[in-house]
Amino acid sequence: MSKAMSALSICAATACILLLMSGCGSARRSEPLTGPMRMEEPSVIQGRQVFSMHCHQCHPGGEGGLGPALNNKPLPGFLVRLQVRQGLGAMPGFSKEEISEKEMDDLISYLNALRRHGSTKEQRREKTV
Amino acid sequence: MGCYALRSSSGGGQTDFSPPRRINPADVAVPEGYRVEIVATNLTYPTGIAFNDRGRAFVTESGYSYGEDWTKPRLLRLNQGGPPTVVAESPRDGPWNGVFFHAGYFYIAEGGVLDGGRILRVDPDGKISVLIDGLPSVGDHHTNGPVVGPDGHLYFGLGTATNSGVVGPDNKRMGWLPRWPAFHDLPGEDIILRGRNFESEDVTAENGRRQSVRTGAFSPFGESTASGQRIQGSLMASGSIIRLPLNGGEPEQVAWGFRNPFGLAFSPDGRLYITENSYDNRGSRPVWGAADLFRRVEEGQWHGWPDFSGDRPLTDSFFSPPGGEPPGFLLAEHPNDPPPPVARLGVHSSSNGFDFSTSEEFGYVGQAFIAQWGDMAPAVNKVLHPVGYKVIRVDVASGEVTDFAVNRGPKNGPASLIGGGGLERPIAARFSPDGRALYVVDFGVLTMDGSTPRPRRGTGAVWRIVREEGRP
Repeated sequence: MSKAMSALSICAATACILLLMSGCGSARRSEPLTGPMRMEEPSVIQGRQVFSMHCHQCHPGGEGGLGPALNNKPLPGFLVRLQVRQGLGAMPGFSKEEISEKEMDDLISYLNALRRHGSTKEQRREKTV
Repeated sequence: MGCYALRSSSGGGQTDFSPPRRINPADVAVPEGYRVEIVATNLTYPTGIAFNDRGRAFVTESGYSYGEDWTKPRLLRLNQGGPPTVVAESPRDGPWNGVFFHAGYFYIAEGGVLDGGRILRVDPDGKISVLIDGLPSVGDHHTNGPVVGPDGHLYFGLGTATNSGVVGPDNKRMGWLPRWPAFHDLPGEDIILRGRNFESEDVTAENGRRQSVRTGAFSPFGESTASGQRIQGSLMASGSIIRLPLNGGEPEQVAWGFRNPFGLAFSPDGRLYITENSYDNRGSRPVWGAADLFRRVEEGQWHGWPDFSGDRPLTDSFFSPPGGEPPGFLLAEHPNDPPPPVARLGVHSSSNGFDFSTSEEFGYVGQAFIAQWGDMAPAVNKVLHPVGYKVIRVDVASGEVTDFAVNRGPKNGPASLIGGGGLERPIAARFSPDGRALYVVDFGVLTMDGSTPRPRRGTGAVWRIVREEGRP
């Protein structure tokens, strides 16, 4: 690899990391603040159970806790899948025995729905206060 | 993501506080159709609430807080529009961790950090009788509950002496090791040890001599164990649930293998549930990332402590402190496979007192409403954001967890951190006798000065959450 390509790769990786570490808006999706989530799709309903079992403890409701917040991170689904499988830093990886492929699909559906749920009347209210 | 190691701890107690505490129910958000009210303020370390047969509310003040602050444990009657009335008080030996009213008497779990745990009965005139004493709860965790079950027996919890079965320097920081240098955890039945010993500084050495000691599981500080060593079981085990007949008779062990079973309540269908404060990343055998648990108590079963978190073994690398090894097992054989929890709650959320909704008028019938006291970071571990400081509800069938009462603002945390006049550290939740109102006992402000807790007297409160008439 040329020096130019190498530098470009490093820059791209750095930008990616900075993007992943930055939050976009509030992570709060708490029902008292944002109202109940509409969960009509079966995959979202199933995904919530997967989240409760494996994710909630470190990211309560997708907000920060022991680990970072998820709700305000613009991670595409394939990167979420990669991180859940491989782990990253202090976060452990989850095998297919722990979270099956179907459960992973459901989990990503739920996380996307949870993230979308952020444009809320509560946040609009806070902006006007 | 992936930034855990790069960031410093940001727990809810890692802040400064200047009194007085502000109180503003409008700063607490609840679902649409519910309303928050303040019932009592200026309490010192309140921990539990109960209602007598006339529906009057009574509150226990602990008399002790982490941070080694002692006051008098008290039972107070709340008075509308006036200061509370002292019904009973004890000269020392908190914490009073909870209260339950049954058939004309109040029953109180006395932690007993100085003299050992007790279960007390208080009559309406404030006379205190001792139902049982000498309970081994002078360590990290205390005597908890109590609750009277549908069988008419009184149930209470005993917390463990240590974080994960091994006495270490962290227990000196908790305050009790100098008072009780021979104290240690007790198993609920005979167990065989693997003989693992853990080296630490001898924090009991005099004259400041720095030397190391090796300490085994279920043993006094500085006492090592051998592979195959048998430890005799104890009826009053660390991390157990005990049942006491109220009409006379001997106490029985219901189950053991919990870490700190703080909250106890019976579901509408008569099953006993508990909240379990789980492992910390501290001491000679640190455990990382263990969720607080909401559990159904399976009678006669061992529930996993000190080798499992719920049904997950501590041999799993999931529980390794960053850069460290998994805690591994202490027991050579396990009494049974530990039953899985109903729900995994926030790590270090300190999920405590709870109650079940039984009223259609309030809603969410059958769900458990749990008060989360909040993290004690960095003493328990590093956290990236405050954990707890709210009331959650748990669907017992699915294990799904949903926030019910939280502070408003762009981030979660106690009011002393995020501003406003909302919740600090909810420690108990109990419905009024008619089930229409949820009372939330708020311990008050406790900040962290490094790893040292700094509780603030007179900052406790009681909140009430009701459903507004004519609302969905």
